[in-house]
Amino acid sequence: MAHREITKQEIQAVYPTVAQILADALGCDVDRVKLDASLIEDLDAESIDFLDLVFRLERAFKVKIPRGKIVEDARGDLPESDFEQKGYVTEVGLKRLREFLSEVPPERFRTPMKSADIPRLFTPETFCKVVVRAQRAAQGSA
Amino acid sequence: MAERFSAFSFVDRITELEAGTRAKGQFAVPEGLPSFPACLVAEAVGQLAAWVAMDHTGFRRRPVAGLAGETRFLGEVTPGQRLDLEVEIESCDDGAVAYGGCARVAGAKVLQLGHCVGLMLPLEDFDAPEAVQGRFQVLRETGVPGGRFRGVAPAELLVIDRRPGERIRAAMQVPAAAPFFADHFPRRPVLPGTLLLDSQIRLAVGLAAELPRPGTSPLSPARVTDVKIRSFILPGQAVELEAELSRVGDVAEAALTARSNGKQIATGRLELASREVAQ
Repeated sequence: MAHREITKQEIQAVYPTVAQILADALGCDVDRVKLDASLIEDLDAESIDFLDLVFRLERAFKVKIPRGKIVEDARGDLPESDFEQKGYVTEVGLKRLREFLSEVPPERFRTPMKSADIPRLFTPETFCKVVVRAQRAAQGSA
Repeated sequence: MAERFSAFSFVDRITELEAGTRAKGQFAVPEGLPSFPACLVAEAVGQLAAWVAMDHTGFRRRPVAGLAGETRFLGEVTPGQRLDLEVEIESCDDGAVAYGGCARVAGAKVLQLGHCVGLMLPLEDFDAPEAVQGRFQVLRETGVPGGRFRGVAPAELLVIDRRPGERIRAAMQVPAAAPFFADHFPRRPVLPGTLLLDSQIRLAVGLAAELPRPGTSPLSPARVTDVKIRSFILPGQAVELEAELSRVGDVAEAALTARSNGKQIATGRLELASREVAQ
């Protein structure tokens, strides 16, 4: 899969809708949804909110977003056993995550990191990128 | 424990099973109950889906309430009737189960569930996996006699604030102990999402009854959409429920919210229609 860099313009094009969907899903004011907020730490997102969010984004943007897509794309061609071991993200896995989640402030990547804690990194921009990638995929296959 | 597999168990028998994909089952609503709320019909469909999902993961994971995209209330169920349950599993893995299903009485559909998702969590955190698996075998093979469910006392709602026909807020105290916690769940008691929804619906129905609607039959629940249970609600927890009517015509719509400790813990939208429209 070619990883063409996602531009600021592409993010800004989807951000208002993503922010509103996030506010609806989390029951918070849209003003609280900042592009680099941590959904879990700052906006109190629960696990079920991520599933809800994905469904809402699929409906709003008319795209398909498979569950687990973010981590799967971050892992890329790296075998699962090289990405994660005994519930923790490996060094090389962490490097992949840092590259893929380039929108997340570096200090939020803590080591060691449990695989279950990866969603703690996700921000509204992470989901803007998910939408842009899904839109590109839809155009590519159209 | 006398309440185990009876106080809040709504599948008496699994009559057909295509592992991980679909199932049919039955539940006899005991005679002598004062009523059988529609939310418990939804619970029965959800529990059948849970059996399929638990079996699919080898009884390592179990679903807990999450999202219910659309629930349609199509007819009342009265004590003494038998529910015929049916579920289709859209996907199921260690993270989540997505499903839909319905309940029928004497061939007529009384409830339809669509776009439901349950988070799959470790079964052993909630229950003894071997006991659950054993029960599944019994339900598959012979089934269990009906009539064990004794009803659930509706939670008392204390009105905090109201604007008649527009908005209502009420306090709900989850009981510290109740028979249904023996089933839901033995190792980790949590309030069933369907019981929360039942309280929310009762609140909204009361609010809608205050609307001036001369010459038409009262508004009753027709459909509830986008239900989401965001966190566990524990025995003894204080919860604040709110219903706000947002549209009035042939159909009224109520936004349902539950909060606890300042946090939104459940949401949904309820459509109420007069019976003629609902049918």
